[in-house]
Amino acid sequence: MNLMANILLNVTIAFLVGSILLGFQRKVMARIQMRPGPPIIQHLLHTFKFFLKESAFPKTAAMPFYIAITAMLCVIWVAAVIVGPVTEGSLLLFFAIYAIHKIVEHNAGSSSGSPYGKLSCVRAVFSAAAEVPLFAVLIIIYLKTGTMILSSIVTYQNQHGALLLSIPLAALMFFVLILSKSPYSPFSITKGKDIVSGYETEHFGILRGYLMFSESISWYMLLWIFLTVFIGGLNPVGYLIGMVIITAFVAFINALTPILNPNHSVMTQVTLAFIGIVGSVIILLY
Amino acid sequence: MDQLKAVSWFVFIISVASILYALIINPPYWIVYAISIVFIPLTILSFGLLSMAKGKKEEEEDKRREPFIGY
Repeated sequence: MNLMANILLNVTIAFLVGSILLGFQRKVMARIQMRPGPPIIQHLLHTFKFFLKESAFPKTAAMPFYIAITAMLCVIWVAAVIVGPVTEGSLLLFFAIYAIHKIVEHNAGSSSGSPYGKLSCVRAVFSAAAEVPLFAVLIIIYLKTGTMILSSIVTYQNQHGALLLSIPLAALMFFVLILSKSPYSPFSITKGKDIVSGYETEHFGILRGYLMFSESISWYMLLWIFLTVFIGGLNPVGYLIGMVIITAFVAFINALTPILNPNHSVMTQVTLAFIGIVGSVIILLY
Repeated sequence: MDQLKAVSWFVFIISVASILYALIINPPYWIVYAISIVFIPLTILSFGLLSMAKGKKEEEEDKRREPFIGY
């Protein structure tokens, strides 16, 4: 297949599947909380709807940075699709992409000029201190498989079995990272309702739709990486089933857990990261 | 046509043309990656800036005013 067509196809799949999964997550959460909840396609519909809504840019926004930062989020997750499903490249690039995602959260908040955005911007730095150690899971994967290349990790698992079974604590760490990025998560302090919508508060209309587009791709990609790195060798149906199961599990946790305050959120994540790293190293040694 | 709309049209046309170039001509892979990473996001953003509804000129000032200007 033509490379550009392959990339366009994968970006479209990532957006559509990611949107439906985020809608599914809201639906599961609503049912657990005894509410009917919105339709599963609601997230997708909202994304399209925001592209047609009336938009105005606040006077206090730092233009053109205020718009450019939303493009940055899209750029990094399109790059993630290329590194992931298209080329099965290096996990290290995902680490870089995730680090930039935290920078985007920070700068989207600060560029808006809103105090809610600014508070979210501070929290983004705060949470990065906890989430980046969780991404240290990559080191454990390297120590176990001797490679950072996704295709080689899949080959390793074909020969030695799923990494989920051999380094379960590393999988748990990555799962906590996925949980942190899900809407209404106990760790989603950057978008906590106490600060309205956090760094997205002043990004409404088209810019909100654009952010939602990127977030759908981001959700798909995080699940894709988890399934590829810890289970490996799945066909498209296997990926879809895996993504639905993880999303439902995340929804179950989010429906029953309040959003933690920033201190508790960061300390919980750091504790889990510590347990994950030390535990995994012990498992690897013995 | 205001400045934002003119820039959006320009970016949209350049982005779509670049994507079509990569689709039809099939250039070296690094050019395709560069076009994808830069122009797919720009296509969507410029399309959004063109498709969004614009309010009345006299109401715009009220909508742009930020009620909270800091701590």
